[in-house]
Amino acid sequence: MQQQVQQSKASETKYAAVSFASPLKVLLLHLTCGLGLVSGFWLALNYYSLTLVDNSAQTLGIVWALEAAVVILVYSLFRHNPDQCSYVKAIARGLLGLPVGAVVNALGAIVLGAPLGIQHFKKTVHWSLLMSVFTFVPAASVFGSSWTDWHRIFAHTKPIGSTDFMICLPAHGAVIGAWFGAWPMPLDWERPWQEWPICVTYGAILGYLVGMVVSFGLSAFHNRRLQVKRD
Amino acid sequence: MAKWAFWMSENWGGRKWAFSVFLGIMLLHSLAVLLFTRGFLLTRSELSQYSQCDDISNSPCFPPPPHDQNANTSCWTKPAVDRLVIIVLDALRFDFVAPSSFFAEKKPWMDKLQVLHELASQNRSSTRIFKAIADPPTTSLQRLKGLTTGGLPTFIDVGNSFGAPAIVEDNLIHQLVQNGKRVVMMGDDTWVQLFPHHFVTSYPFPSFNVKDLDTVDNGCITNLLPTLYREDWDVLIAHFLGVDHAGHIFGVDSTPMIEKLEQYNEIIKKVVGVLESQSGPGGLHENTMLLVMGDHGQTINGDHGGGTAEEVETAMFALSLKKPPANLPAVDSQSCQQDMHGRRICVDTIQQLDFAATVSALLGLPFPFGSIGRVNPELFSLVGDTLNPESSNSGGDQSLSEVDSWMQNYANVLCVNSWQVKKYIDVYSSLSLIGFSEKDLLHVSELYSQAQELWSITSKNFSQDKSQRSSASLHSVKRQLDAYSKFLESVAALARSNWTEFNLRMMGIGFCIMLTSLCLHALLIKRLDKLCGLRSCFSGYSTSFFGVIFACIIVLIRAFSFLSNSFILEEGRVAAFLLATAAMLRLRYAIMKKKMLLEAIAICLLVPLLRISIELGQLKQAVNSLFLKVDPSKTLGIDNNYLFWMYIAEILPLLALMIVAYLLYTSIASCSSQSMLKYVIGGTVFNYMLIAIHWASDSTLLSLHMFLGGEKGNLIPQVTYAGGLIQLSLLAIDQLIVRQTTLNWEESTIVKVLALLSAWSSTIIVLSGKQGPLFVLAFLIGGWCLMRLMRLEDDTKNECCGSSLSYALPVTQWSLLAVCMFFSTGHWCAFDGLRYGAAFIGQKTNPFFRKKIHVRFDEFNLIRQAILLTIDTFGFSDILPIFGLPLLVVALMQNSSSNKQVFSMRLSQVYLMYGLIRAVTITFTMLCVAIHRRHLMVWGLFAPKFVFDVIGLLLGDFLILLSSLYYVL
Repeated sequence: MQQQVQQSKASETKYAAVSFASPLKVLLLHLTCGLGLVSGFWLALNYYSLTLVDNSAQTLGIVWALEAAVVILVYSLFRHNPDQCSYVKAIARGLLGLPVGAVVNALGAIVLGAPLGIQHFKKTVHWSLLMSVFTFVPAASVFGSSWTDWHRIFAHTKPIGSTDFMICLPAHGAVIGAWFGAWPMPLDWERPWQEWPICVTYGAILGYLVGMVVSFGLSAFHNRRLQVKRD
Repeated sequence: MAKWAFWMSENWGGRKWAFSVFLGIMLLHSLAVLLFTRGFLLTRSELSQYSQCDDISNSPCFPPPPHDQNANTSCWTKPAVDRLVIIVLDALRFDFVAPSSFFAEKKPWMDKLQVLHELASQNRSSTRIFKAIADPPTTSLQRLKGLTTGGLPTFIDVGNSFGAPAIVEDNLIHQLVQNGKRVVMMGDDTWVQLFPHHFVTSYPFPSFNVKDLDTVDNGCITNLLPTLYREDWDVLIAHFLGVDHAGHIFGVDSTPMIEKLEQYNEIIKKVVGVLESQSGPGGLHENTMLLVMGDHGQTINGDHGGGTAEEVETAMFALSLKKPPANLPAVDSQSCQQDMHGRRICVDTIQQLDFAATVSALLGLPFPFGSIGRVNPELFSLVGDTLNPESSNSGGDQSLSEVDSWMQNYANVLCVNSWQVKKYIDVYSSLSLIGFSEKDLLHVSELYSQAQELWSITSKNFSQDKSQRSSASLHSVKRQLDAYSKFLESVAALARSNWTEFNLRMMGIGFCIMLTSLCLHALLIKRLDKLCGLRSCFSGYSTSFFGVIFACIIVLIRAFSFLSNSFILEEGRVAAFLLATAAMLRLRYAIMKKKMLLEAIAICLLVPLLRISIELGQLKQAVNSLFLKVDPSKTLGIDNNYLFWMYIAEILPLLALMIVAYLLYTSIASCSSQSMLKYVIGGTVFNYMLIAIHWASDSTLLSLHMFLGGEKGNLIPQVTYAGGLIQLSLLAIDQLIVRQTTLNWEESTIVKVLALLSAWSSTIIVLSGKQGPLFVLAFLIGGWCLMRLMRLEDDTKNECCGSSLSYALPVTQWSLLAVCMFFSTGHWCAFDGLRYGAAFIGQKTNPFFRKKIHVRFDEFNLIRQAILLTIDTFGFSDILPIFGLPLLVVALMQNSSSNKQVFSMRLSQVYLMYGLIRAVTITFTMLCVAIHRRHLMVWGLFAPKFVFDVIGLLLGDFLILLSSLYYVL
C-alpha cells in the first residue's frame, strides 16, 4: 500500500514537469479534430456522393484518411519531450501507430462479435482504421513508445493533466460508444443502418464527440484548480 | 423459536444448513413456476358438450330433406359424400404439392408429386389443390387435434406431445362413430392415442423413432390398397410419416426426401387408380372423396412447431370421384399458373380450422360442438351432390339454376354453421370463467343478428315458387353468404386473438414468489458475508466493488434483453458479447497488474471460437437436426470436398479427446490420496479410449469397419452410459462411507470436482457426438482461465478473503460461459432445437437398417430416452458448470489459511450467487412472457424460451442441491 502511494507520488512529481496544454489549446485541438471528422463526411457526400449507410467501406475510408491526417498533425504538436523528439518524428510515430491500432481494434471487434465473412472484410478494415485514429494514433503521436504512459492511460485510466485528458477521454468515449452502438444490431427493424459497422461507427463517433467535450470541460476545470492552487 | 435461531447461527454453512437452504429455494422456485405456468400456459377450457343429430330442429335453418332410403344418415346437412379417404402426409410443405411455377425458383424437391398436377389439370371441376393454412403450434398432435375438433389447440398440449392424451372434446371422429360411420386408421399411432376406442380397424405403427423413415409408411402401404377394395368402412385415414422424419434427419433438400416424395407419388397414383376403377355407377367408390393433405409444413431444415410461413403453409388435394354436373360458382380466391408441362393448375386457400366443419357438412354429420370453422365453399362445391335434389333437374337455363340452387344450399349450410358457432360461443362464454370480452361478444352477436335478419328474408325467397325467382334472388343469396361469412370470420379472428386465457392473478403470484426468492438469495448472500468476512479490509475494495457493479450490469443487460424478441433469438450471441466484454475488461485488468496475461488472452480468444460455433448453430444446419452421425466437417464449418480438411475434421475430435484424457490422467497422477476417486477418473480415461475407438470405427476415412461394424456399434455407447452410472454410484458410496479424514481439503475438493465432472463427461461426450470433446476442452480452458484470473484479485488483497464481492464477476462470467456452451453446442430455446437424435445413440435403429422393411425395435424406453435427451440438452450448460463451480472457491482460497467452515460458507455463497444470477434471468423471462402474452410470436418464441428456462432453472436448483450435499464439508 505504502509502495503504491510512493509510486503514485513519484509519478505525479514526474508528470508535473510535463507542460499542460491550456484549455484554449485543447478546445482548438478538439474543434479541429471535430471539423476534420465533419469535413470527411462532407467530402464523401459531396465529391464522391457516398454515404455511410450505402457505401460504408468507401465512406469510412475517406473519413479515416482525412481524420488521420488531421489528428496526426494536430496531436504531434503536443508531443512529450519536444526537445528530444522532432515534429516529423512524432508524425512518423502516429503513422506507425495507425496500422497497429487498427489490428488491435479489429481483434477486439472480432472477439466481441464482428462478422468474419469475406464480404465484411473491407468494412472491418476501414472501421478499425477509423477506431485506431480515435484511440491509438493520438497516443502514439504524443507518447511514442513510452510504455508507462500507455499503461497509465489505457490500463489504469488515470489521466493527469490536460494532454492526458485529450487523449484518454475521446479514446475511451469512442470505445464505449462503439460498444453501445452494437446494441441495435440484432433488432429486427430491418433498417440499413443496423448493418455492421454502420451503427457501431455512429456510436463510436458519438462517444468520441462526447469524450472531446468532457475532455475540454475537465481540462478547463483542472486549469482553474491549478490556478487556485498557485494562488 | 429461539432454539431455531440458535441452530441457524450454529450451523451456518454446514451441510445440513446448505441442504435445507437449497431445498427451500428449490421448493420456492417450483412453487413460483407452477403458479406462473398455471396462469400462463392455461389451456382453453375444453367443453364436454357434444353436438347431437336432433339439435338441428332448434336452428332457424332448413333441416335437410328426408332422404328416401337412408334417412338416418342425413343429419344436419344432406350427405354429399358416402365414403372418404384421407391420406395425411406429415409435414407436407405447400411447395411439395403446388407446381414449381408458383414459386420464384424451382427447387429439387418440387414437382415430385406429379400425379396431383395431372389430376388437377385434367378434371378441374372435381379436383382441387389447396394451400392449407395451419395455426401454430405446428406440431402433429396439436394439428390433428385442431383438424378433428375444428378449434384452436393451445400450447400446453405441446408438453403432452410425446404421450398423446385422448381428446375429450367433441370432434369429427366422435361424430363419425356416433352417426354409424366406420372409421379405419393406419399409420401414425398418435391417432390411436387421441382416439383410443373410435376405430373399427386400426393399423398403428410407432411414430416416435424419427430415425426410422420407412416403418410407418410401409405399414400404411401394405394395408392401404387391400383396404380400398373392402367395403366394411366409410372413412379411411392413412397417416404417412416418412416426409416428416426425412425432414428431421436429412432436411428438405436431400435425396431421402426426394425418394420419399417419389414413393408417395407412386402410392397416390395407385390409390387413385383403384378408386377410379371402382367409381362406376354402383361401384364401391361411386361417391367417394379423396383428400391428400399435410398436417403442417416444415422449414428447409425439417423443423416445425412455430408459426413461420414455411411451417404453417401446408397443402391439401381434394378429388371427388362423382363428377359435379357443371362448373360451380367461380371462385375468387383462386390463383392459376401454367406448370412446366403447360398445364393450367389452380390453387385455392383453405384454413385448417375449416376442415372439421367442411368434412362434417360433406358427410352430413353434426358439426363438432367446439368447431369455429366455416364450411369452405371451394371444397364443398367439389361435390355435385351438394345440390338440392328437387332443383337439380329443372329445365331451361340449367347452369344458372344449378348455380342458384347450389348457392341456396350453401347458404343453408352456412346458416347451420353460423348457428352452431354462435351456440358454441354462447355456451363457452357462459361456462368459462374468463370468456371473451363483452365488447367483442357484442360485436359478434350483432353480426349474427344482422345475418339472421337477412336470412329471414332470404329463406322466404327460397320457399317461393321457382318460377318467380330471378337473378335478383341470386344477388340476395350472395348477400346472405357474405353476411354469414363475415360473422364466421369475425368469430375466428376473435378466437385466434383472444383464445389463450391468461390467468393474470396466478401469473402475478408466481412472479411475486420469484421476486421473493431473489430477495432471499440476496439476503442469504449478505448474511453469509457478515459471518465469514469478519475482518473487513478495504484495500482493493474499490476494484472488487467495480467488479460487482459490472457483474450486476451484465446480468441486468442480459435480463433486460429478454424483453425483446430479437434479443431472444440472438441470445447466444448476446451472451458471447457480454462474456467477451467481461473477458476484455479482465485483460485490461491483467495488463494493469502485469500478470496472468496468458490466461486473459486465452479466454479472449476462446470467446470468438464459441461465437463462431453459435453462429453455425444458428444456421440450423443438418448438424442440429436429429441425426448424430453427422459429418464432423460440417460441425466445424469446413467444406466437405477437401480430403485434407476431412482428415482434420476426423482427427481433431479424437485429438481433443486425447488431450482431455491426458489432462485427467496427469491430474490423478499428481495427487496423493483418495483411491476411490482415482479409480473413477481412471474409468473415465478408459471410457474416452472406448469412445475414440467407436468414432474411429465409424469413420469413413479409416477403414476400420471390420472391427465393430453393424450392431456392435451400439455396444460402446451403452458401455459408456453404464460406466457413467457406475462411476456416479461409486462417488455416492464414497461420499456416504468414507468420511473426510484428510486435512488437506483444498486438494480433496479439487479431486472430488474432477471425479464428478469426469464421471459425467464421458456420457455427455457420447451424446453430443464428435463436437463433444472439443467443447469439453473449451470448457476446461475457459474454466481454468476463469479460475486463474480469480487469483488476480486475490493477490491484491493479500490474505484478506474479503467479501462475496470478489466472486461476483467470476461467477457471472462462469454463468455466461455456461450459456454460451448451451448455444454453441447447437442448441437453441425451441422444441426443434432439441437434439432428438441424442436419445437414440446406442440404440439399434441404425441407418444401416433403414432399407429393411421391418426394423426390429429396441425396447421402447421413453424414460431412458428422456433422460438422455435431458443430459444432452443441459449437459454443457448446467451439469458441468454447476458441478465445476467449487473450483472458483478453491482457486480464491488457496492462499488464505481459512478453515473448513469458512470454505463451506463460501461455497454455499457461490452457489447462492450462481442461483441468483439464473433466477434473475428467469424472472425477466417471466416478466417478458407476461408482457408479451398477446405478441404475435408468443407461442413461437417466448413460450418455448420460457419453458426451456424454467426447466433449466429447476434442473439447476436440483443440481445445486446435489452439489451442496456432495461438496459442502
